Amino acid sequence: MPQLGNLALAIALILAVYSIVANIYGMRRNAPDFVVSARHAIWSMCAMVTIAVVVLWVALLRSDFSLEYAASYSSSTLPTAYKITALWAGQQGSLLLWTWLLAIFTSVAAFQNRRRNPDTAPYALAVLAGVAIFFLWMLNFVTRPFDLLPAIPAEGSDLNPLLQNYWMAIHPPSLYIGYVSASVPFAFGAAALITGKLDDGWIRSTRRWAIFSWFFLTLGNLFGARWAYEVLGWGGYWAWDPVENAAFMPWLVMTAYLHSVMIQERKDMLKVWNLSLIGLAFGLTLFGTFITRSGVISSVHSFTQSGLGPYFLSFLIAVTVAYTALLIFRSKQLRSPAEFESYLSREAAFLFNNLILVGITFAVFWGTIFPVLSEAVRGVKITVGPPFFNRVNAPLALGLVFLTGIGPLIAWRRTTADNLVRSFAAPVAIGVATGIIGAACGLRQWYVLTAFSLAAFVMGTVLVEFRRGMNARRHLLAEPRAKALVNLVAKNNRRYGGYVIHVGVIVAFIGIVGSSFFRTEVKKSVHAGDSFTIGSYTLRFLGFSEVDTPHLASATARVEVLGPDGREITVMTPAKLFYIRAQQPATLVAIRSTPLNDLYVVLAGIDDSGQTATFEVFLTPLVFWLWAGGLLMVLGTVIVMWPNVRERAAIATVLSRSSSADRELADLAAPGGD
Amino acid sequence: MNIRPRFFIGAGLIILAIGYLIGNAMRTTSEYYLTVTEVAARQSELGAQALRVAGRVKPGTVNWDPNTLTLKFEIVPIPDLDAAGAPIKPVVATEPVSFRVVAAGEPKPDMFAPGRDVIVEGKLGAGGVITATQVLTSCASKYKPKQSQ
Repeated sequence: MPQLGNLALAIALILAVYSIVANIYGMRRNAPDFVVSARHAIWSMCAMVTIAVVVLWVALLRSDFSLEYAASYSSSTLPTAYKITALWAGQQGSLLLWTWLLAIFTSVAAFQNRRRNPDTAPYALAVLAGVAIFFLWMLNFVTRPFDLLPAIPAEGSDLNPLLQNYWMAIHPPSLYIGYVSASVPFAFGAAALITGKLDDGWIRSTRRWAIFSWFFLTLGNLFGARWAYEVLGWGGYWAWDPVENAAFMPWLVMTAYLHSVMIQERKDMLKVWNLSLIGLAFGLTLFGTFITRSGVISSVHSFTQSGLGPYFLSFLIAVTVAYTALLIFRSKQLRSPAEFESYLSREAAFLFNNLILVGITFAVFWGTIFPVLSEAVRGVKITVGPPFFNRVNAPLALGLVFLTGIGPLIAWRRTTADNLVRSFAAPVAIGVATGIIGAACGLRQWYVLTAFSLAAFVMGTVLVEFRRGMNARRHLLAEPRAKALVNLVAKNNRRYGGYVIHVGVIVAFIGIVGSSFFRTEVKKSVHAGDSFTIGSYTLRFLGFSEVDTPHLASATARVEVLGPDGREITVMTPAKLFYIRAQQPATLVAIRSTPLNDLYVVLAGIDDSGQTATFEVFLTPLVFWLWAGGLLMVLGTVIVMWPNVRERAAIATVLSRSSSADRELADLAAPGGD
Repeated sequence: MNIRPRFFIGAGLIILAIGYLIGNAMRTTSEYYLTVTEVAARQSELGAQALRVAGRVKPGTVNWDPNTLTLKFEIVPIPDLDAAGAPIKPVVATEPVSFRVVAAGEPKPDMFAPGRDVIVEGKLGAGGVITATQVLTSCASKYKPKQSQ
């Protein structure tokens, strides 16, 4: 069986090389047959990588420990679900998953473009095949997933207990889908540069890919944060660890990209900027893999230090140099005739939002690589921790939130004072009122007051927008309120889905601010029957119960939680686990989540006598809203991505008839219209 | 009206502000990241500087009190590995360096165990004792099961 996996990977590599050659030859020599056969080669490559993935999954499920990978990341007692997720627990498997996703996405892009974009798509597919060659070459020659062990061990070493968790099962694939799908817009951008077809065709053709990528990067980051929150047991969800930063940076750049492409689509500006952003996003996905796999930057969870660093760095440098050279080569053709006209315009708001997003990316990048830089320059490693990232990003986040409110409401090109008052009077009033109420309720931190006021301001702008659109439909089409609202979103999904995402971001922001500023913590050693308090809760330790299975042993504490009125609310069960195979303890956190606050109980220690337990308890206000905001972002993205073919056709007809009322309706549906 | 230069002023101001934020935060939050050997070499100049020290937990020195959440142990240098992954014996036998670490008020990390590599955050006090605010364990995703089992 493992030989089959090796063979499939070898054939896939050959097919990837062939598809590049055939695509380029077919385009240069005007031989469409070669372009078709290159497409078939890509589909066959996808089939080969799929075979390799299946072979590895079968080995994991059958506990075939002759395979080094299965012996290292699985065991016979590992639950079946985690045998499946063990595919991406280690380095070889992760790269195989990456390659598989790349092969699938390349195949889909090849299918979508079998008739579309005949001038550029073959080059884009060649670029994607080039990326695939790098990964397939790694799998074939550098880090091979199907290597055998000289002697078959009786049992595998088991999966890292930290990874035996629901969120960890879905976090890496989400992140990888986000990373890898960013290479499709990148490839089409590169193809635009190669062919010199520099209009916004490449952006329009890959708009859905970009949103898809952003969606999964969002999910990946949220799942990772949720995993850290539920599993790591320190009460927080984000530590600015290099690995987290590596996942966060592409998200920031993709967010900037999704906004700035609207300016190009609408105003034919910022061509160089957009091409640079997508190049940066792709480069950062490689950089992320580089720093997590190379060990150049020490991380709390750098899972495998390995010799992969130089390969990724070389590939990253090669891609950067080639792409930059292309940008310079085409720079004359990329000049834009249009100019910014006024600070009080949507273009300006989007441009500044881009600058801040890229600025945050740079700050995160700088803080992440500073240990390496300082060692190279001054001979001593200097690190910066979470305080650095928080101090830089907290003010920038405020600016970003402010622009989130401004951007969608302000007019393109320029705006008048009258217009400003009409759009922003109500939201500003809501924001100021929130600040005053906050101060009256005893909030004194200026940052929190500003943050909550700005958040309320943004919510106000979204409300104004929804009301405006709803009223337009009510007057023009005489629809009742509820129907007007539903139709407004359903028929202008790109625009109003975007607003839902904005609301999600703001709700998550409120959760982040609340949980960062108001968390309290209590540590206490107690005998069975004793109690202690945190906030308005009283916690009573009732005792332990112990369970042993062949896979793990556990000691679960029962903690009774009493509310301010002394009545029992719930019984929480934090636990200590011990994984037999890995000889490794693990902590099971108990969380009681409410919209107001989260009670987070960690069983920190058990006395040898078994009578005393030490608890670490966190009371974190508003953290609930981080996850709620995440859900709203998911909902918004689904609305944005929802296919809306009929409406588009309808708009086309409306526009051809071109009465003023119809045009107003159509304008509502236009992407980023005003 | 000449708009373009005005835009560069706006963009420039934002970039300057970001640069200032980064520079300012660097000055106030950076800390040394040193190995145990480096700490030994620079002991006199470190003073009350915030440190992150990478080292290995010396077996037989670990003392954990679950009631007070106090963890005491010694850290020693992480041996360099050769290409095959075996520790390189130093050519000149040197005095083995180690520092005592006291971490109070934090739960013992699950991955903490004698012989594991850890990063200790804290300050070097008198008598070569590191008062740690945090002990981080690097989690290897791969386990080498004990030979004795």
